[in-house]
Amino acid sequence: MKNTCLILCFFAFGLALLGALATGRYPIGVGDLLPLAASSLGYNGHVPPEMQMVFWNIRVPRILLSIAVGSGLSIAGVVFQALFRNPLAAPDILGVTAGSSFGAALAIMFFTTFVLGVQGCAFLFGVFAVSIAYFLANRSWDRSTSVLVISGIVVSAVFQAGVSILMYLADPYDQLAKIVFWIMGSFHVASWAKVQATLPVVVVGSALLCLFGWRLNIMTHNEEEALSLGVDVFRWRLFYLGTSTLIVASSVAAVGNISWVGLIVPHIARYLVGTEHRRLIPAAAFLGGGFLLVMDTVARTVSASEIPISIITSILGAPFLGYLVIHRKTNGAFDAGSG
Amino acid sequence: MPVRVEGLTAGYGNSTVLHDISVEIGSGRICALIGRNGSGKTTLMRCINGILKPSKGNISVSGREISQMKREAIARLISLVPQGNYSPFQFSCLEMVLMGGASRIKPWSAPCAKEKRRAAEICREVGVADLVDRPFNCLSGGQKQLIMLARALHQDSPVMLLDEPNAHLDFPNQHRMMALMRRFVKERGVTALITLHDPNLALQYSDDVVMLKEGTVVAAGPTAVLLDDVHLQQVFGSEIRVDRTVSGTHVVVPCNPAF
Repeated sequence: MKNTCLILCFFAFGLALLGALATGRYPIGVGDLLPLAASSLGYNGHVPPEMQMVFWNIRVPRILLSIAVGSGLSIAGVVFQALFRNPLAAPDILGVTAGSSFGAALAIMFFTTFVLGVQGCAFLFGVFAVSIAYFLANRSWDRSTSVLVISGIVVSAVFQAGVSILMYLADPYDQLAKIVFWIMGSFHVASWAKVQATLPVVVVGSALLCLFGWRLNIMTHNEEEALSLGVDVFRWRLFYLGTSTLIVASSVAAVGNISWVGLIVPHIARYLVGTEHRRLIPAAAFLGGGFLLVMDTVARTVSASEIPISIITSILGAPFLGYLVIHRKTNGAFDAGSG
Repeated sequence: MPVRVEGLTAGYGNSTVLHDISVEIGSGRICALIGRNGSGKTTLMRCINGILKPSKGNISVSGREISQMKREAIARLISLVPQGNYSPFQFSCLEMVLMGGASRIKPWSAPCAKEKRRAAEICREVGVADLVDRPFNCLSGGQKQLIMLARALHQDSPVMLLDEPNAHLDFPNQHRMMALMRRFVKERGVTALITLHDPNLALQYSDDVVMLKEGTVVAAGPTAVLLDDVHLQQVFGSEIRVDRTVSGTHVVVPCNPAF
């Protein structure tokens, strides 16, 4: 049954990719895709230059970025849920999103002249926010994850206040709208430069997390149990948090805040392949990439002007959370599957 | 392997729980750790397992000091059957047992076929072979505890710590757990330290006993010699008697009904 589901998922991903490549303001049919690919390899495919330009410089980087960001956020969601032993933990629990938002708002107001200034600043502040949360938690004698969560809430609140201050000071005719749209998230800003800045971090980070996936199973147990099984919990927690934070910060920095993906995709993946993280991480990456690809295609095609992607993901994510809460009553856990 | 605790003082923050404790647990024996709630049983286990750093004193296993060892090395020497067992995620029982082999498996690796065969074999020995594919969280308390025992056995360490393994177990399962431990100690020659609330189980299954009261050792030595009226009354602070039944078995009974 689950194998059939997986085959269907691969098929659906292929369809979604084809649909995303052939959908958009500029009409590119499915039949144009092969000549477009041929023309890029130097064969004369009789493809208009403007079609080539739209396809290779706008649509392809956008699709690549949506897959990379979807995969990255989903993997980070799996890792955060495992580390915090909480199926409702999301990748922004330690303040990475709030930090990135502050960094982006700061760059929109003061560093607009730099290439990738907003992305770079958002990335740095995202990582900085999580580092502060980790540092604060380490100052406590209690080294449990609950202290880390509280530190994350504190850091998020401070950076959110910072964003509010910047929005209050921003020029309402230009900067304020840019900050608001950045916070809502969108792939319309996708470019090859952003793909080059984001993809390596997501790919290397995801590969590392896949490689060390089995040990994450043990990290889902309480600290005493994990330590007694021979896992240096504090060292490994730093590794998993650090790698996931880099993935989330680079994703959010590239396209803004994207809600719910890191929360709901791990649950769907867990339903399909079980809880064992060696299987779960690649499954979540695949499903997350496909999910965000579909969401972005909907966001850019469903109305005359593009809808910020977080609106679409929230419309789907919030009812799914409701489903999880109802499901909890029946089996005592948020887990969607039995593994 | 023998476990030696010398002059151990430990606690949490400013509160000291164990005061200058010295005990030795002999190799290949079951040692019961008994005492009232808050007497320091779990704290002593945490110190032996290297999870809690003592403020004073030494703990060594077969001459190797725990405080000088890395986590993986400690896990190869000491395994733990924890008191509570809840996982927020639905692992299968086999996946839970396989985690016992973490100290042998490289961080970038996963259990190989040999490890899986070994884990399945241990599940058969413990009598839970029919549970291996079932979700761990769907098991009863007794079944979960047996899976935890199988995981500790899969860890293959010469010293086993069992922290109230009978908590939440019904009467037959309590004896099943203890009888299994008796068998494994005999077959594998492991040293087992078990915290128990029921002195009758200590009387029936343990070779040695360590009796704690308010963080100090009241008595430590062979169960047959030390588990008597005087020591039990010292530990539990009430009138308790060790009676001999007509079949010759010793049983611990409270004299005061309001006990």
